[in-house]
Amino acid sequence: MPSRFPSTRSAARLVFAALLASTSAVAAEPATSGRALEPDAAGAAGIVPTQPALVPASGPQVLDAVKTSGAKVVIVNLWATWCVPCREEFPDLMRFHRDYKDRGVRLLLVSGDFSSESDAAREFLASQGVDFPSYLKSGNDEELINTFDPQWSGALPATFVYDAKGQRRHSFLGPVTYSSLEHEVAPLLVATP
Amino acid sequence: MRLKIATLVLSAVLLPGIASALATGDGIPDKDTKMLNVDGAEVSIGGVAGAKGTLVVFTCNQCPYAKAWEGRIATLGNDYAKQGIGVIAVNPNDPNKQPGDSYDAMKQRAKEKGFAFPYAVDATSGVAKAFGATKTPEVYLFDASGKLVYHGAVDDNSENADAVKTHYLNDALDAVVAGKAPSPAETKALGCGIKFR
Repeated sequence: MPSRFPSTRSAARLVFAALLASTSAVAAEPATSGRALEPDAAGAAGIVPTQPALVPASGPQVLDAVKTSGAKVVIVNLWATWCVPCREEFPDLMRFHRDYKDRGVRLLLVSGDFSSESDAAREFLASQGVDFPSYLKSGNDEELINTFDPQWSGALPATFVYDAKGQRRHSFLGPVTYSSLEHEVAPLLVATP
Repeated sequence: MRLKIATLVLSAVLLPGIASALATGDGIPDKDTKMLNVDGAEVSIGGVAGAKGTLVVFTCNQCPYAKAWEGRIATLGNDYAKQGIGVIAVNPNDPNKQPGDSYDAMKQRAKEKGFAFPYAVDATSGVAKAFGATKTPEVYLFDASGKLVYHGAVDDNSENADAVKTHYLNDALDAVVAGKAPSPAETKALGCGIKFR
């Protein structure tokens, strides 16, 4: 799939900067349409879209966003609309995100849906209260899988926890719960100066 | 150390009874286990093994990745069965967890897609566990002597057959038929976690 980004590293930074800007934008007024906004448009307009933006990204692009996030901990979750355990774990993921985002934890969601299912993905995200842009996997699956963890078979769901230096500290090769996330993330927050 | 222990514990909880993933050169596990085929007869992997090799595909009815690839799986399976490759598709999912994977639904799907090879029920998910399979679809190709020579994806693009750049399984089958070792021997792709019984 052709990349929409001018270059990998700079594009990933641009996307992640837009993701952070959009996440911090407060909804001053309701969205004027159901159309999904591009990350930079959402941030600039100060509008929370009814359906969050879904940005195509390869594994290396997502990992670059992890490494340039500036967060204390980054959680990368791979999911898909048709994946039952993915849907079942989502409320815990979102609750953890809400509880820990002000403590330096960022959540990057990567949908494994086909591009033809982007609308369904955005609808699900909106239904789960996701009010920030996230990613739609793009490019080679093998590259994506090995980028996050060569031990991962590619089965969904999967969640990866990165520290402040962008080093992977834990792989959940299966569903997560609030407590299992907290068990892995909390020590990293204490360790981070 | 904590990380390793936690990983082992988590793996034990999430993947009970899963054997380690097969490695290149390993033999066919559970090859004599009888499985119910969509034609009503019992079949085993050993029973369908071919003179040139054996292709085992863990797949199912519902997974979008499996559905996207199943036409290609049917074509490859049907074509290479004529070239001495024994072919079998195995559904390891618990239909109680995924109703679309019932036996009747499997019969219908095999008919719709024109499978000329068995599509069998892994009634305990034990065969999948013996292989160390974790998702659908997941492909295992064994050579004439029953040694694993290719494991992984059908090709490099589940979503768009016309945009495939590397036909992993097709190339591996050509190699095996010619008595050569496939390269790469292992590939990866996203898939749906097996709904183990």
